[in-house]
This record gives sequence, structure tokens and C-alpha cells, in this order.
Amino acid sequence: MKWNTFIPAMSRRALLVGTLALSAAHLPLQTLSAAELDVLTLGKAGDPDNIDPAVTGTNNSFTITYPAYERLVKYNGSASDVIGELAESWEASPDAMVWTFKIAKGHTFSDGTPVTAEAVKFSFERVVKVAKSQAKQFTQITKMELVDADTIRFTLENPSATFLSLLAGSGASIVNPAVMQHEVDGDMGQAYLADHTMGSGAYQVASWEKGQQIVLEANPHYAGKADLKKVVVRIIKDASARRLQLEKGDLDLVEDLPSDQLESLAGAEGVAIVDEPGFFVTYLYLNNKSAPLDNLKVRQAISYAMDYQGIIDGVLHGKAKQMRGAVPSGMWSHDETVKQYTYDPEKAKALLAEAGVSDAKLGYLYAKTDPNWEVTGLVLQQALAPLGITLEMQENDYPTMRDRIDKGNFDIAVGNWSPDLSDPSEFVKWWFDSKYHGLPGNRAFYSNPEVDQLIRDADVISDQAAREQAYKKVQAITAEEAPYVMLFQRNFQFAMRSNVEGYVYNPMLVQMYNFADMKKN
Amino acid sequence: MSFANMIRRRLLFLLLVVFGVSLVTFVISHMIPGNPAEMIAGDKAPRELVEKIYKDMGLDRPVLVQYFKYISNLLQGDLGTSIRTQRPVLNDILIFFPATLELAIVALSISIIFGVPLGVISALRKDKVVDHIGHTVSVTGISTPAFWLGLLLIYFFYGKLGILPASGRIDSSIAPPAHVTGLYLVDSLIAGDWPAFKSTVNHLILPALTLGFIHLGVVMRQIRSAMLEVLREDYIRTARASGLSPTRIVLDHALRNALIPSVTIIGLAFGDLLYGAVLTETIFAWPGMGNYVVLSITALDFPAIMGFTIVASTVYVLVNLMVDLLYAALDPQIRAIG
Repeated sequence: MKWNTFIPAMSRRALLVGTLALSAAHLPLQTLSAAELDVLTLGKAGDPDNIDPAVTGTNNSFTITYPAYERLVKYNGSASDVIGELAESWEASPDAMVWTFKIAKGHTFSDGTPVTAEAVKFSFERVVKVAKSQAKQFTQITKMELVDADTIRFTLENPSATFLSLLAGSGASIVNPAVMQHEVDGDMGQAYLADHTMGSGAYQVASWEKGQQIVLEANPHYAGKADLKKVVVRIIKDASARRLQLEKGDLDLVEDLPSDQLESLAGAEGVAIVDEPGFFVTYLYLNNKSAPLDNLKVRQAISYAMDYQGIIDGVLHGKAKQMRGAVPSGMWSHDETVKQYTYDPEKAKALLAEAGVSDAKLGYLYAKTDPNWEVTGLVLQQALAPLGITLEMQENDYPTMRDRIDKGNFDIAVGNWSPDLSDPSEFVKWWFDSKYHGLPGNRAFYSNPEVDQLIRDADVISDQAAREQAYKKVQAITAEEAPYVMLFQRNFQFAMRSNVEGYVYNPMLVQMYNFADMKKN
Repeated sequence: MSFANMIRRRLLFLLLVVFGVSLVTFVISHMIPGNPAEMIAGDKAPRELVEKIYKDMGLDRPVLVQYFKYISNLLQGDLGTSIRTQRPVLNDILIFFPATLELAIVALSISIIFGVPLGVISALRKDKVVDHIGHTVSVTGISTPAFWLGLLLIYFFYGKLGILPASGRIDSSIAPPAHVTGLYLVDSLIAGDWPAFKSTVNHLILPALTLGFIHLGVVMRQIRSAMLEVLREDYIRTARASGLSPTRIVLDHALRNALIPSVTIIGLAFGDLLYGAVLTETIFAWPGMGNYVVLSITALDFPAIMGFTIVASTVYVLVNLMVDLLYAALDPQIRAIG
């Protein structure tokens, strides 16, 4: 049978259809580049989940809440102390239980209504009532009184040395009470604020196409000055695509590039790399309650078996620093003299021999949440094998992993931690106080009555020198007792176009940008 | 059986499927160890807060009681609130599903528009150069990883030539068309918004080519082998002998019969495109269901997982129904037997 006569006819049809389809590719392009100087475009790896400051606890969402709302106080540039933002002055009672704030004139919400003491009171009542991740920090407020229209007085349950630092966080954002007009079924406007903003900050959300982009527009009522008219946050999950768009100038600032991509971008024309030490730490929990990890010598041996520099160089391309003590370098109470474990297989072997452990099987609990966790486990597995310890890799999904940690159902687990307050108690208190066993923070199930006492005493005094002394003592004791393996504190890194000016890094404000002070040349 | 009867029976079946699938998913997702209240409360949360959230979510009640509560809400169109985003699940799905649907439809169209003629030509020119070229194309299509092809296309068309955008559904400088169907191509036409339509087309080309190319190979192989079979049939020889033109024989007689088994494959491919596009969606920052579901699963976000499962099973049953209707339309025998 011959079909040759058919082919030309058929090919012509195929050609026609193909041409029609392809002709779409030749439609003239709209301008792809957001090259306008008063628009800053930021490339993010993931969409913020929720931007209600009373609900969200993720830095990825703080990118939006931080510039959209103002708080009573804010971090002072790159320093860890705070200065007034909405508050022009404040005073604390000598026992640090009563705090009075005077609100500066001239701050206005995006609808033009002034920020008053009443709005401040409303915002804190709302956080507690909404009872989501931010609520826990504010339940310590027992009373709020309006001294006058611009003055508010807080009374706390216990003396708190960290109250001021708490007020600089995203959860302490002051929300326009008019949000109650959007209340549905008593939700205090949660459904509305999940994807809208009602603050007095420099930029408000103008539109949000989920999974694509968020457009922030300058708030005409903002009390300060803002150069950029718009900030566009684009969601681009793939790192290579983000990088390419930065190189082409379609993005001005790009988050979450892997170290190797950043390294190869370092010399690129028109691109600047921000690479700063951060408070984001990665460490291992050793279950102090289960054998053989209840044995001090075994825990110390594991601390000596870890190749710290190997992980930092191999996994993080050197963009991290080995921890020394629980409080990261850069935060007060960090102690350069406290014991730091080094990679010393001989010592590890000797300690295990002393402990009488020659053959053990341990599990390493991790999830895919952080890609570095698996590699860290593999490095540990290799290090422990010659010592006679078999490490079994136990991958779980993140919620299950958290549940197992909470129940103490693991041998060794890995985790990340970052402070919500610029205060060493964020590490020391949660990690070592036996009151917080399990998921709340003491995930090694470590108990030491002396340490408990030191921590609890330090929590209720406001004398910073005395607190520093207590925290240093806790760090010295716990370094010796090795409930955790202190791995590294990671750098905060991102890339931006070199014509972007005015960005100020603060280790407490990871993924939060001072857009109002930034501009493009 | 009449068409109407068949559709009625299938829709009843759909209800049963959705009920069954939702029950199984609900029970399994509630049996996985892990406490969503802990995920909402975050680190450094006192036990009382976790317990309060747990109670507020009704998680302290028996699973079946929770399930019936869920179903009764579902019947009122309420899919619950996502644990991860704390937004209504229905809103999230209405945003992300049309994006995936639009991409899947365009990608499938590409694989059919190119796959069917190529398959037919390969069959007609069996073992000739054209057939070998076709074979190479289909094997390449089937075996090319989406992430590789996607990045390559981005690199070339966006990075080098600068003629096509690399990510998203529409330019950031253009407002998306008013929401009617959620499909930007359709909505922009309804709104008569030409710039939005153009921008949507431009944004669709690369991801749709990436996805379409992979299924093109499958469609092409299927059509080719079905055509080869059909062309050997007696009635084709009879048709030729009675002097019908080759074009009519191929299009009216051979292709029509070859399409019947292919419809199933194409239906399956469509299901696959709807829920298997995670990688492509990731590379092109396409705001579709793929990403949403992956994030929901890793966060043990029951309401979102449930919502997705229900939409997915509904669509799957509907696609199957459409395949059967197409079958009936193509094959009078099936129509007669039902």
C-alpha cells in the first residue's frame, strides 16, 4: 500500500496548525523589566502564609508585616538595643513590672486616622484574643490603662527584662482598630488581615496574587519619608530562575540563594552580595533521658566526634561559624572563653571507653524541612562508625518529627533555632530550663536544678550585668554537660543589584527590610 | 442506555467516590502522628496555648465525629481553614486550581496538536526516515526531565534571546483580568483586555511547552501504534479499493478508529498534567496546585489536603466521564451497548 500521495496533504495541515501555535510566540512582549527607579522588586522563594501580625510567626511573612506596621519601639539600625518608633518616650518601674509609653504625635494609619493609645491597647488585646502563635508572648500583660489619649501603661504578671525587646517584634505591630469593620464570626478581622494590611507603616499591601506577587504601595499617611513608590515581592520558587532574573536586572533583590549560587554570583557585574553573621543556629538534641545518652561521657564523646569545620566548609561553603556556648556570637552574654568542642576522634574514643560503651545503635531524627539536616546526619554517621556507634538515619515528615521530639521518642535529633527577642534568654532559658522539656524548647530533656535556679532568677531581674553573669555561668555548666551538640550559626545571605542603596542589616531582622530608607540609583 | 442515563449514573457514582475518598483521607491524615496545634503555636509555646488551639480546632473529639462535622460543613460549601495559611481552603483552591487547569489544558493541546499528526505520519511512513525522527522525538519527550527542559528553555528564550518571560502567569506591570473563571486566557478575553491576554500567552508558552513536550511523546507513540493496527484492517483496504481519497481514508476511517484507545491515554495524561506538574510549576513560578499541595502535606495541613483530595477526585471522575462520552461519540458500538 502506498500512502505517499497522502503525506503532502497531511504535512500541510500539520504545518498550518503548528504555525498557528507558534505564531503566538512572536507576539510582541510587554516590558519584562521592572527597571523603574522608584520600584523595588524582591524575589522570594515562597509565598508568605498569612500576614496578620497576630497570627504569623514566620520571617517570610515578616517581610510584609515589618514595613506595613509600626510598633512602639524598633531596633536601632544594626544594633540590638531599641529606640522609639511610635513611642516618643517610656519609663519602667524599678521592678520592671509597670511600663508607661507616650505615643508621638503625627503617626497615622493608612486610612488617615491617628495612632492613639487606644489603638495600641486594641492591638495587644487582639493578639491575645486571637490566640495564635504570637499570643504566648503577650499573655504576661495583666493590665493596660490609658493614662491619656497618647499614653498607655502596661502592668506585667512578673518583672520582665525583655519586655522592651518584645515590643519590637512583628507580633507587637499596632493594627488599626477599624479592622473590626471586617470582623466575621468574631474572628477579630483575622480573615481580612490574612491578606490585607491596616497599619501605619511606610508600605501597605495594594494587591496580592497568591503564589505570584505582592505589591506594596507607599502609604501616603506614613509619618516618615519613603523614596520608593512601590515594592513588588515576586514569588519564584526555583533558585536558578531567581538568580537569572537578578542578573538580567528584572529583580533588585533575591533571597534564599544556595551558597554555591551566591559564590558564582560574587564577581558578577552589577550584583552585590550581602553576607552577614546571624543568630540562626543549627544544633543537635541528645536525648538526655535515654541510654546511653544519659551518660555524660557518651554525650561528650559525640560532641568530640563531630567534624564541625568539615560541615561548615562542605555544606555551607564556609558561610557559618561554629558555635561556642549556647548564646551566639554577636549577642550579649556570648562568652568567648566558654568550652568549645573540637573534632577529636581520639578523645571521643577514650571517653566512650571510659563510659564502657563499645557497641551502640542510635537513631538520627530529621526531616527534609532543611536540606542541610540530612547531610549533617550523614557526616555524624561516618564520624560515629569507627567508634562502634551505628547511627540509623530516621527521616520523618516535619509534623511527625516535632511530635516525636515533644514525646522524647528519639536518640539524636537535629534542629534550627532563632531568637524572637534580642536577648540571650531566648537561647539559655528555653534550651536548659527543665520547665520547658519537649517541644517548647528543652528538647534534650536536660535537667539540672542549679541551672534551673540560675535561669529563673535571671529572668526576673533587670540588672543586665547580673543577668549576663548568670547566663555565662549557665553556659559554662551546660558546655561541660553537653546536652546538645552545638553546631554552627549561619550567615544571613542574599544578593541584590548594586544600585540598591540604604539597606541596613540587623541580625534580629532577618528577611525584614527597611524599604523606607532604601532607594535605587 | 441513553446518554442522559449514563451521565446520571456517573454523577451518582461521583458522589460515592468523593465520600469514600474523603473518609479514607480524613481518617489517615488524622492518624499520622503530629499535632497541627503545635504547628500553629510555633516554637516556645506554652502547653496551655497548644491545648487551647487543639480544642478550638475540635481535635479532641473522636475522628468520626470530626469527619461528620467536616462533611456537614462541606455540604454547605465550607472546606475549612488551612492550618498553614490560616485562610479558607476554598479561597486558596479557587486561586491555585485555575492556574493549574489553564496550564494543563494548554500543555495537553500542544501535545495533541503536535502528537497526533506526528503519530499519524510516523505510522504512514513506518520504518522510514520520518518515522525514525518521530521515534527520536517521542523518546526524547518521554525521557526528558521537566526541570532540565524547563531551565533550558528559560535560559535560551529568557536569558539569551530575551523574548519570553521566565516566571509567573502575567507581567507584574499588568493587572490580572477580573476573576470570572480564573483562567487568565478566558478572563482576559471576556474583559476584552488585550494586553493581559498577550501577556498571559507569553507566560504560558514556556511552561506549556515543557509540560506538553513530555506528553507529546506518549500521545505520538500511542497514535502511531493504533494507526498501524487500524491500517492493516480489511475495511481500510476495502475503502482504498472503492477509490476513496487517501486523505479521507486516513482522517475519516483510520484516524477515527485509532483515536479510540488514545482517548483513554489522553484522559490519563490530563489527570497527570493536573497533579503531576509540581516540578514545572516550581521552575516557572507558576502559582498552581502542585506547590500548594506539597507545602500542605509537609505541614500536615489536614483541611488543605482534604480540600485538594476532594477537588482532585471530582475532577478525575469527571475526566473519566468525558473520556467515556468521547468513546461513545467515536464508536457507535459502545454507544449501542452503553
